[in-house]
Amino acid sequence: MPTATFEPVLTKTVHLPDSHTLAVYRKHGGYEGLAQALRKSPDEIIDVVKRSGLRGRGGAGFPAGTKWGFVPKSTDKPKYLCVNADESEPGAFKDRLICMKDPHQLLDGTLIAAYAIGSNRAYIYIRGEFAREAEILDGAIAEARRAGLIGKNILNSGWDCEVTVYRGAGAYICGEETGLIESIEGHRGEPRLKPPFPAVVGLFGCPTVVNNVETLACVPHIVTRGWEWFAGIGPERNTGPKLYGLSGHVAKPGVYEAPMGTSLRVLIEEFGGGVPGGRRVKAVIPGGASCPVLRGDEIDISMDFDSLTRAGSLFGTGTPVVMDDTACMVRAAWITARFFAHESCGQCTPCREGCGWLQRLLWKIETGRGEERDIDILLSVTDNIEGNTICALGDAAAWPARGFAKKFRDEFLQHIREKRCPHEGGSLH
Amino acid sequence: MATVKLKFDGRAIEVEKGTNLVDAGKKAGVFVPHFCYHEGLPVVGVCRICLCEIEGRPKLVAGCATPAEEGMSVVTRSQKVRDARAAVMEFLLIHHPLDCPMCDKGGECTLQDYTIAMGAAHTRFGFEKNTWPEESVGGKLILNKNRCILCLRCVNLCKDVAGKEEIAVLARGEETYIGTVAGQMIENELAGNIADICPVGALTSVDFRFKARPWELRNVPSICTLCSKGCNTVVGFHPRRNEVLRVTARENHDVNQWWICDRGRGQFHQFHDPSRLTAPARRRDGALQPVDWAAAIAGAADQVRDVIARHGQSAVGVIASAELTNEECHLVKRIFRDGLGLANVDFPARPQPPVVYPKFTIEGDRNPNARGARALGVGPGAGGRSVADMMRAAAEGQIRALLFLRGGPLETFGDPATVERALSRADLVLVVDRVPSPVSERAHWVLPGVSHVEKDGTFTNSEGRVQRGRRVLRLRGDAREEWRILQDLGRALGALSETDPGPEQIFDRIARSVPAFAGLSYTVLGELGAPLAARTADVAVG
Repeated sequence: MPTATFEPVLTKTVHLPDSHTLAVYRKHGGYEGLAQALRKSPDEIIDVVKRSGLRGRGGAGFPAGTKWGFVPKSTDKPKYLCVNADESEPGAFKDRLICMKDPHQLLDGTLIAAYAIGSNRAYIYIRGEFAREAEILDGAIAEARRAGLIGKNILNSGWDCEVTVYRGAGAYICGEETGLIESIEGHRGEPRLKPPFPAVVGLFGCPTVVNNVETLACVPHIVTRGWEWFAGIGPERNTGPKLYGLSGHVAKPGVYEAPMGTSLRVLIEEFGGGVPGGRRVKAVIPGGASCPVLRGDEIDISMDFDSLTRAGSLFGTGTPVVMDDTACMVRAAWITARFFAHESCGQCTPCREGCGWLQRLLWKIETGRGEERDIDILLSVTDNIEGNTICALGDAAAWPARGFAKKFRDEFLQHIREKRCPHEGGSLH
Repeated sequence: MATVKLKFDGRAIEVEKGTNLVDAGKKAGVFVPHFCYHEGLPVVGVCRICLCEIEGRPKLVAGCATPAEEGMSVVTRSQKVRDARAAVMEFLLIHHPLDCPMCDKGGECTLQDYTIAMGAAHTRFGFEKNTWPEESVGGKLILNKNRCILCLRCVNLCKDVAGKEEIAVLARGEETYIGTVAGQMIENELAGNIADICPVGALTSVDFRFKARPWELRNVPSICTLCSKGCNTVVGFHPRRNEVLRVTARENHDVNQWWICDRGRGQFHQFHDPSRLTAPARRRDGALQPVDWAAAIAGAADQVRDVIARHGQSAVGVIASAELTNEECHLVKRIFRDGLGLANVDFPARPQPPVVYPKFTIEGDRNPNARGARALGVGPGAGGRSVADMMRAAAEGQIRALLFLRGGPLETFGDPATVERALSRADLVLVVDRVPSPVSERAHWVLPGVSHVEKDGTFTNSEGRVQRGRRVLRLRGDAREEWRILQDLGRALGALSETDPGPEQIFDRIARSVPAFAGLSYTVLGELGAPLAARTADVAVG
């Protein structure tokens, strides 16, 4: 292992038989975090999480403790915690591992977070396609309830909390926190206008925190090991262990736990075993489909929020998709654009109309019918979508299209000049 | 109300706290374009044409969804805002059919107006457009999804104002569309408002489509007379054809907000009822035969005087109508109660089941002017009879002359058999009406009156608000306004010493003589009406 001193915590038990059971989780110190948290005040927990520097693992990287702190203290309304297990970003599959192999770790973190924000009700919103994972979570909840970890008077603390799994019906946009809230309420999955933010007006009009699965999985460890431990891992402002979901043209795709700030090259070459067949890395989408692509010569980069933002891309969910030199960048861009056009909720104009336009332009170029000005139109359309929409899906569609067209303009031009895709028969065909 | 001070394109303004930037812009004299935003509907912020820049904020904001804040500096005349709005316009048009020449909305289409104001002259799209077939969605509306920009006004009108989720957003992405589900049609009676507020030609009115181009119409502010609510309307009148082609809602926050019901919207069909009465007629040998007005007025007046001479005042019953204007009601009072000293003066109540929607009620009184009629003294004098009582008395031979100022089905006036008997037994039955009815079929004299859009005059709604109706249509045939008929009849009866040249002067007379109307004039009423004097607010309403 390249980071010999790093001790995995999030994936510590996932390889064990029956890792999803309460017995295994407890045997390895499970629910100790909850027990310790319940002996502290909610504010102390929020403070610890703030100090740890934990940033949301769902893509936006917003500091979790700060988010919890936004929930009003003085309100008559119930407060809700929503666990975002939608994991709908193409390329991301790290939360799935936790749901499947270590659901109690998630419940542990969920209960601590609920306690910290003063909630007695948590919903785990899981994408419809994760049917098995939803069953496992339901089983874990039942186990935890029997053990007095969910329900009334948890661990004799006098605090009650219910946890319910809510299965989505398969929409990317329901991973957007207000789209998720709408979906739990039984409405169309459409993001809300913000402000107000969910911390003030969220689920059923009540203060709500929406946290990603991996974010919450970190919480028990922060409580038991202390914020200093967490803050000591990774670069400044980008702390903690991270689950990297590596896929694409690598020898050993999978979920790897390593410190925040691990080099992308190390992830690909050492964890992932490099590109098979002796091929070279041509491009990497570093953190899920919405993140602008990096060229193969840009992979000496620290995989963390701030470094990727500085590089003009995004850390996203920290789940790199690697493409070797057989991959067509126009086609990759088109596949991404097609996804976002399909997943746009259709609510606001720039995203609804723009995503379909991007998809058409990319398909036109890919199929050898493109003109040079189509690249300019494509870039202009991305500019016209970005920043003008209700939620970030529009941006998420614009960024990769622009990224591919800018980073691989020559390849786009080659398609146009040769009036065909030079990679026909390649791995993305 | 707390206010906030802010700058809007450099202009200092002060607005109520919570005012959004579209409305704040109005105050600053800056037009912020908007498709989805409508004052009467929930803010959805989806069209994005109202994007504004706020100094110090990196991202543009949707003006409709952003409240004005103290010290804010809003900028709309920047390149950034112009570019963003141009982008939205381009996006809205990529699949739009640009079929303005054959679109019913052309000429009053927000999308068309904005395209002219800030749209591009050329398309960069170059792909095949998405297309959809036209379909009926109920509510007398045709849906053309090709033109739809998904502003959701229709959805939210049904959901929020009518409380009926009869039309919805379906599918997603660029396949998103507005539609009804499982063949269920729009059935709420506010659906017609959708055609008013649809900012494009996506939902157009079955009644109006292809009848005329909007610019051919003269739009006259009017009111609806189908119930006691007194909704403010715009009557779309085609001058050359002397035809009202549509009635649309006119905003009045004291009455109907932005909406009217579909009954009122469809009232214009009545104006052009082919069975309209167009000449005075007298029954001879069992059949109605046209006579000229002079003969009709003189003949009818002679008969009324004859009945009074032979049987006394109690033998005459005047069945007035609360469909008459305030001016006409005043004439009824002066002529029959004061001039002839009749006690049997009343009008029939015309109740209907009220229809209550979350944000709009169709009132339970079909009379548009019951409150005015009562305030102006149209009602039985001492010992006088109610309408049903008059019918019984006529059926028994005690009343010999029945003067109906509006006809109608027999049950309007009482037990139908009794009314039937009253009509057949009376020596004199006179009716003023626009259309034939069971009453006119049995009358001795039939005098052709007009609709409220063929005369000037005011109505007092159930809340005591006095509002003007206006003459829009030219009179057809020999029909006459009721105020004119009443004045002529009053003079012929020797019961009206002074007459006036028109309704406005009659109204001034009312204002001078009836305390509830003191201080009012056509000028004071303006376009939105004015309430009766407060001290009469408790006047009993028949």
